[in-house]
Amino acid sequence: MTEARETTRARIGALPIIEGAVLVGLLAVPHVTTDFQTIIATRMLLLAILAISFDLCWGYSGIMTFGQALFFGMSGYAAALLANKAGFVQLWGIAPVSMLVGLVSALVVGWFLLLGKRTPTIIFVALGTLTASYAAERLVAGWQWVGAANGMSVWDFLKIGSHELEPGPVFYYVILAFLLACYLGARWIVRSQLGLVLAGMRQNEERLAFLGYRVQRFKALVFAFAGMIAGLSGGLYAFHEGFIGPGSMGIGLSTYAVLYGLFGGVGTLVGAVVGVAAIETLAFTLSDVDALKPYWPVILGVIMLVVVAYRPTGLLGLVVSRRERIGSFGIGARARKARGDGAPARADRAPEPGE
Amino acid sequence: MNDKRMTRRGFLRGSSALAAAGWTAAGTGWVLRPSWANAQEGAIKMGIATDITGAIAPSGNANWQTAQFAVKQINDAGGILGRPIELYLEDTASDPGVAVGNVRRLVQQAEVDVILGGITSAMREAIKNPIVRRGRTLYIYPQLYEGQECTPHLYCTGPTPYQQCAELLPYLINETGAKRFAMPSANYIWPQLLNKWAREVIEANGGEVVMEDYFPLDQLEYSATVAKIMSEGVDHVFNTVIPPGLQAFTKQLYEAGYYDQGSLSCVYFDENSVHYVAERELEGVYSCVDMFHTIEDPFTQQLIADYNAMFPGTQYRFTAGTASTGMYRGIKLFEQAVIATNGDLDRDATSAAMDTAAIENGPGGPARMVPGTGHTEMNMYIAQSSGGSWNIISSAEAVAPNECG
Repeated sequence: MTEARETTRARIGALPIIEGAVLVGLLAVPHVTTDFQTIIATRMLLLAILAISFDLCWGYSGIMTFGQALFFGMSGYAAALLANKAGFVQLWGIAPVSMLVGLVSALVVGWFLLLGKRTPTIIFVALGTLTASYAAERLVAGWQWVGAANGMSVWDFLKIGSHELEPGPVFYYVILAFLLACYLGARWIVRSQLGLVLAGMRQNEERLAFLGYRVQRFKALVFAFAGMIAGLSGGLYAFHEGFIGPGSMGIGLSTYAVLYGLFGGVGTLVGAVVGVAAIETLAFTLSDVDALKPYWPVILGVIMLVVVAYRPTGLLGLVVSRRERIGSFGIGARARKARGDGAPARADRAPEPGE
Repeated sequence: MNDKRMTRRGFLRGSSALAAAGWTAAGTGWVLRPSWANAQEGAIKMGIATDITGAIAPSGNANWQTAQFAVKQINDAGGILGRPIELYLEDTASDPGVAVGNVRRLVQQAEVDVILGGITSAMREAIKNPIVRRGRTLYIYPQLYEGQECTPHLYCTGPTPYQQCAELLPYLINETGAKRFAMPSANYIWPQLLNKWAREVIEANGGEVVMEDYFPLDQLEYSATVAKIMSEGVDHVFNTVIPPGLQAFTKQLYEAGYYDQGSLSCVYFDENSVHYVAERELEGVYSCVDMFHTIEDPFTQQLIADYNAMFPGTQYRFTAGTASTGMYRGIKLFEQAVIATNGDLDRDATSAAMDTAAIENGPGGPARMVPGTGHTEMNMYIAQSSGGSWNIISSAEAVAPNECG
């Protein structure tokens, strides 16, 4: 055992190092920035949860979801309605309601798109989620009770007991805690036995189906979990921004979720966080340079195109090996770890998502 | 509410106009520093949050120019109590989601003393929270709108539905003999609330509404609506369709020969409308806003002349429908409020003073805040378009906003 521990330590991957570095960095943010920058960073954390939900779908389960903002927006509206119509702003209620709304709406969409008689193709799922998101955006934009095209201002602050959570450092740490919880939850899923099935599905979905796995049900399960955390971020986002509008559930934000994931590196989870930080920081900085102001969306677009075209594995693909991204599972993995090879040799040939 | 489409060329012209005006980049948005500064107390910081880009850009740019114009007038005259105004601009980009973040820069980074801006109701709804509640900053909203905005520390300096309709609709019924009204509308909050109000006035004056329909904002096909207007014997169309649907609607209505049968009114039409609606389709159309260029008031005439001298040949004209009049009025009312507090820029103090502020001269005449309502009493003018200009046919002095009372 002693010599095994030696080799395991020597083989510690890049991913845990990045995860640790990101966590330390995130913990430090409010101490090294102004309150204004902390507020911007809080918004990024909320978007990071949304990006993780996309990564779970596409990076791990092969569900090309172009509609993650749908769950984000539904919960955002639910939270705003609770605050505005019922006067309820307690975090202990807002968070579970947001998660529930996200979960239920993702179950409905997932049931419809994934659990049909025929096995859905990637294109079918992509267009289905895209359409759902677009339709929802148009519907709320015409619905007076929820403010129609005006959206809704969320006037009151989120509360923990009698403490009002104003956007700022405290709010930041609360959101960071939620992000951490979502991240650990997602990480647990993809490294569990369920994650092993997902890895198998990525490699050969039909073979898994022949082995008796109800592949689509696993997909629907992950999709529902992803919807749940997207919902959580949406509900909190409405309070943080003080505003929720049809744009927060439409294809614009949905597409951003995809871009965050692809840019940072799909199939790594932490890549989603890195992607959000990179894109949002870039956008924030570029939009401040006056010479670039009119063109920054174009520049941003070109940078993202280059990364996606030449680095399909995203920013993290530069440092994280494919073998490490797939990860290792179960008893066999532990045994191999003890021998010192870290990951199953076969996983080297696992296809990229989307390949 | 005045949606205008944005063209690339228009934007380039706009940006070069900004560059020509000697703008300095200060890291965040635009800052226009006064050419002189009072060493003792420093400048008063005024934030402008308006749509420099996006669908509402033509109105937003007009607002921004108006702000520069009004501030230049104040600074040239020695500032407010000897202190100059420093202007900060953030682009709300016609997108409420983007706007929330950008407005934060005004509040948290520039720490401005007052923010003016927002054109659409959607924008006001999105930015009022970061400004007034989260930002604890005074907010002045300059555009004509649907009413019912009673948020404390938020002051509306544009006309309300009552101000626009209370005179216009009875005039149409009594003077032009209009009886059967049609209300084609864009489907959002401004037409909905305005129509609710207009219907009451029409029915109280013996008219009837035979049609009230709402269309998606981007609908371009109105033949069924036009056919209904023709067959129902409508003799007045109270229009709240906005661009880009507006162009298609007025064209189809004109081509169907409606103007032989009745007339049309639209309460956001002004001197800019000719950019959207062909002149022949505008002929004989009624509007009711707080200023027209044909006004006789010498102060207003001077104002328009000075504005045109500051921005020669500008496409962003000083008109009522683009919220320019509300912007000018708002800045001057704020000036009076700061004078009343004797330079105390504390939010609650300036807000209390703003509540009773008044100006003797403004675009279209005097204006005063009606205490406790956050709305402005002003003169209103009914005009009819003829040969490209708006001839004032009736005016009413000191019309009450009739909101939040």
